[in-house]
Amino acid sequence: MNSSKRLLFGVLVSVSALAVTGCSQGGGATKTVADEVTIGISLPLTGDFSEPGKGVQRGYEAWAKYVNQNGGLMGKKVRLTILDDQSNADRVASDYEKLINRDKVDLVFGPFSTRLVVPAAQVAKDYGYLFVEPAGAAAEVFTKGFGNLFYAAPAVANDHYNYLAKTILAMPISQRPKTAAYASMDDPFAQGTAYGLKGKLEAGGIKTVVNEVYPPDTTDFGGIAAKIATSKADIVVGGTQYQDAVNLIVALQQLNYQPKLAAFSTAPTNPEFPKAIGDKTEGILAPTGYTPGAAWPSNVKFVDFYTKTNGNAPGEDEANAWTTGEVVAAAVEAVKCADPSPKCQAKLIDYLHKNTVETVVGPLSWDKDGRPQGAHLIQQYVKGAIRIVLPEVQKEADLLYPKPQW
Amino acid sequence: MFSGPLLLQSVILGVLLGGLYALLAAGLTLYFGVMRVVMIAHAAFLVLAAYLAWFFNRQTGLDPLLSLAVTVPLFFVIGVLMQRVLMSRLRPATLTMMSVLLTFAIAMFIEGMLGFVWTGTQRRIQLSYSGASIEFFGARIAVVKMIAFALAAVSLAGLYLLLKKSRMGQALRATIQHKEAAQLLGINTERIASYGFGLGLAIAAIGGTALSLDSTIYPSLHWRWIGPLMAIIVVGGLGSIPGAAAAAMLLGLAQSLLQLPMGTTWAQTVFYIALFATLILRPQGFFGGRLAQRF
Amino acid sequence: MLSASDLAPPAPPSHRPRPATVLRVAKGVALVVAVAAVLLFPRLAADPFILSVGVVIASYAVLATSWNLVGGFTGYISLGHAAYYGVGAYATALLIIKADVPPFVAWIVGALLVGLLAIPIGIAALRVRGASFVIVSIALVLILLLVFQSWGSFTGGSNGLRVPRPFSADVLRPEQHERFFYLHIALLSVVLLVWWVIDRSRFGAGLKAIREDEDKAESLGVPTVRYKLIAFVLSAFFTALGGGLYALWFGFLDPIFQFSILIGSYMVLMALLGGVRSLFGPAIGAVIVGVALEFFKSRYGDTQLHLVATGLLLALVVLFMPDGIIPALTNLVNRFRPTASSIQEMTAAELLQRDRAERPSETELSATEVADENTAVPR
Repeated sequence: MNSSKRLLFGVLVSVSALAVTGCSQGGGATKTVADEVTIGISLPLTGDFSEPGKGVQRGYEAWAKYVNQNGGLMGKKVRLTILDDQSNADRVASDYEKLINRDKVDLVFGPFSTRLVVPAAQVAKDYGYLFVEPAGAAAEVFTKGFGNLFYAAPAVANDHYNYLAKTILAMPISQRPKTAAYASMDDPFAQGTAYGLKGKLEAGGIKTVVNEVYPPDTTDFGGIAAKIATSKADIVVGGTQYQDAVNLIVALQQLNYQPKLAAFSTAPTNPEFPKAIGDKTEGILAPTGYTPGAAWPSNVKFVDFYTKTNGNAPGEDEANAWTTGEVVAAAVEAVKCADPSPKCQAKLIDYLHKNTVETVVGPLSWDKDGRPQGAHLIQQYVKGAIRIVLPEVQKEADLLYPKPQW
Repeated sequence: MFSGPLLLQSVILGVLLGGLYALLAAGLTLYFGVMRVVMIAHAAFLVLAAYLAWFFNRQTGLDPLLSLAVTVPLFFVIGVLMQRVLMSRLRPATLTMMSVLLTFAIAMFIEGMLGFVWTGTQRRIQLSYSGASIEFFGARIAVVKMIAFALAAVSLAGLYLLLKKSRMGQALRATIQHKEAAQLLGINTERIASYGFGLGLAIAAIGGTALSLDSTIYPSLHWRWIGPLMAIIVVGGLGSIPGAAAAAMLLGLAQSLLQLPMGTTWAQTVFYIALFATLILRPQGFFGGRLAQRF
Repeated sequence: MLSASDLAPPAPPSHRPRPATVLRVAKGVALVVAVAAVLLFPRLAADPFILSVGVVIASYAVLATSWNLVGGFTGYISLGHAAYYGVGAYATALLIIKADVPPFVAWIVGALLVGLLAIPIGIAALRVRGASFVIVSIALVLILLLVFQSWGSFTGGSNGLRVPRPFSADVLRPEQHERFFYLHIALLSVVLLVWWVIDRSRFGAGLKAIREDEDKAESLGVPTVRYKLIAFVLSAFFTALGGGLYALWFGFLDPIFQFSILIGSYMVLMALLGGVRSLFGPAIGAVIVGVALEFFKSRYGDTQLHLVATGLLLALVVLFMPDGIIPALTNLVNRFRPTASSIQEMTAAELLQRDRAERPSETELSATEVADENTAVPR
């Protein structure tokens, strides 16, 4: 093979490839119409986080539609540009680069999942953009010095179970559980929720007899369930996402382990959950940032609008997305600007640091690192339906303790 | 230390796990023996079979095991076609590298199609007996795990009989042992190789269905299985089915027991440690298989 | 009309330039154009997004060429080369964070550490060949994934590791992209140089002998074990340099994205596509694959079809263009040129002289000739 010819071809190919990249990328830059507010978002629509990613997409789209039907943002129509980051950190960063530099969006909304939030927030920060995000709740997100980041939900991961911890520790000694088993996914969010509860319960004297951490792709929970079952712990706490909770619960059922209290993050808020574990949901607890039944004024409108357009009530992912929209809209309307200039974005960021915003999850305010200052609700399956049981002031049903057999 | 009941439970789980691993790994070692091909797509086919079982159950409401009647012959045919159309095109000089890349490409293709057709949502078959278990000396054996073990035992026994007693099986073994000698005996090794491939994929169909009974499935699940399965077949000896079965039982048991002191994550490293140990101490594998020397 | 018994060599036609000279001039011009295009790319790029894509492609080119140091020369296919990429990235990051080492010093030191680690790994892994070696390389990257995920206290685990920026805060992001683009190109040039030097050396000839037939090479006296190990360690070192540079540029490390078999297989795909036996092959493959990935993503991004497309591309390359895209295209072009007749009208010695003048690389010495001290042939 002739290396000079090879080189010639190679050089021609690479130069033309570079030219192709340089000139005609992805359909060309979109031109911003003067009376539109463009918002750029990157979501995991495919890949490992695609299920909740799609929920967030629905929420954003519903919000945009609602806003446009009700006078728009500062009188202008809102247009969303949503890209798919394939649940990949490299892609999410490059997506936001594209949205900010190529599409020149006015505002950005955050992606889904803590793993993707950090690289995305970095890009936003480097370009001076406000970054309100619906899904990065792990403690680590708030320790990286992102002054432009705000989490659009009531509480960070470690505080999700606060109300439950308080209630358990307030029980009389005879009723209070003595031992606890924890199983969490090696994921900053899932683990954060469980460890937040664990810290508080341990401080209150409840002994940890099992503390298991498993990799995210674990599908076989026989071993972990065996440890939990033989420890006969009074309560089991899962720092889980979705399918791992389902698998763990089935494994625990297979071993006939009957705890007095069972709490799992994320999974029980999913509408597929009851069917997946064989309708044996009675008594299972979960922290939730959102309930369709909450009486906040904007929530009533949200549930109404969403149900009419989508045919079913919104879930937590959709609500987090809607909240993000609400927060950004509040800042925009207050500061009266929505453009990519660092000056405008800085004004938006400043506003949110100093003010409280009314949303579908209640009033939200943040500390300087973007941590919201509220607390998550605790839901429970009571008589087959999800009911809020804590805090007392918002409860729809009494806390069921001890848990019936599953 | 660890209580009696916990140890017993772990041993039982380890045995059941080992059986499942044996079923999943058997096909993989077969492709290697027949054609010296590292079939990276094997795990992807397992997931495909699992999806088909789930889909069958969702559409018809019938037990997913019944889908085997369709998937086993289907996968056999796919295997034969794959060998005939794709593998035989590769040049023998660079067979290893090219087969790795080609089967990798097939795995990506399958993952992409699964995600396209059924989205990335994680699925799990919900059966009336999913949570049921049988008591055994103070420990509990999950019914679905027992069924998977039974499937493994039956399939491997069937495979063994096929290889030992039937003419095709004997021809296959001859091809695995020494291709040129088999050709001299008048065996059409190309055709036999395609049957070997088909057989490997047919077993993958059974394995995938067994997997679907007690596991969550999602398109990128195959990545999680490639490592452990490869480790199993190397430890067992490439090309040897009894070797793969023995290594699978051993490693399944080891993983289950090591979970007690070390936790799930570190217990998973047992596969790779065994793999490295095998390659350093006895590259041809511990349980038979003389093929794993210069390939 | 010339015949084989004519002793005088034919006079070269001096009235028109020989094809070889034309080609050489064209080659030189093309090289100059390409270098200019690459160096001017940051100016030519339409916006910082394109520039960031350029950085990514340059990074791929470094990785693919580094992989080729072992994969192309020795024929040992490592599908888990992302292991060195990941460890290089983490080593750089951890040295900066935990040991307060200045960023670019940490980068070099980190890669050196990986090179040192590669020695025992190579000694163990290179004991097996072919399929077993592939399996070992996959196992290596998977076990590193497990370790880096679980050892959270040291590596940050699943929470990820934030890498401090090497440049001061007033260097804006677009300029960062530009600086890192040039850094990657500089690194790429070094790796290309190393490849070129090896290609022309006895060491390289020994490696190629190993690729053709290891046993015969060994029996001819090529120190196979030592040569393989050197190539392996060099490849790991440069891959780690690529990983460290990525860490400095991207700023965030997550084990699940650094230690991935997918990255390793992209490296192989790129090298294979471009042609493993050529200097610029892997780099060209990197450009093609990088552009293709971006293209597939913008076309099919929100479905899983991009995986399908990548799989098909890989399958096509393996089945129809196993030597790489450039040889395949050139073969296609060669079909239309007048074919040489089979009856030679020159002696073998004259033929050899002519060939050597026209196509030097094809007449390179084989392992047997290198081993044979008596063949002192001038280059």
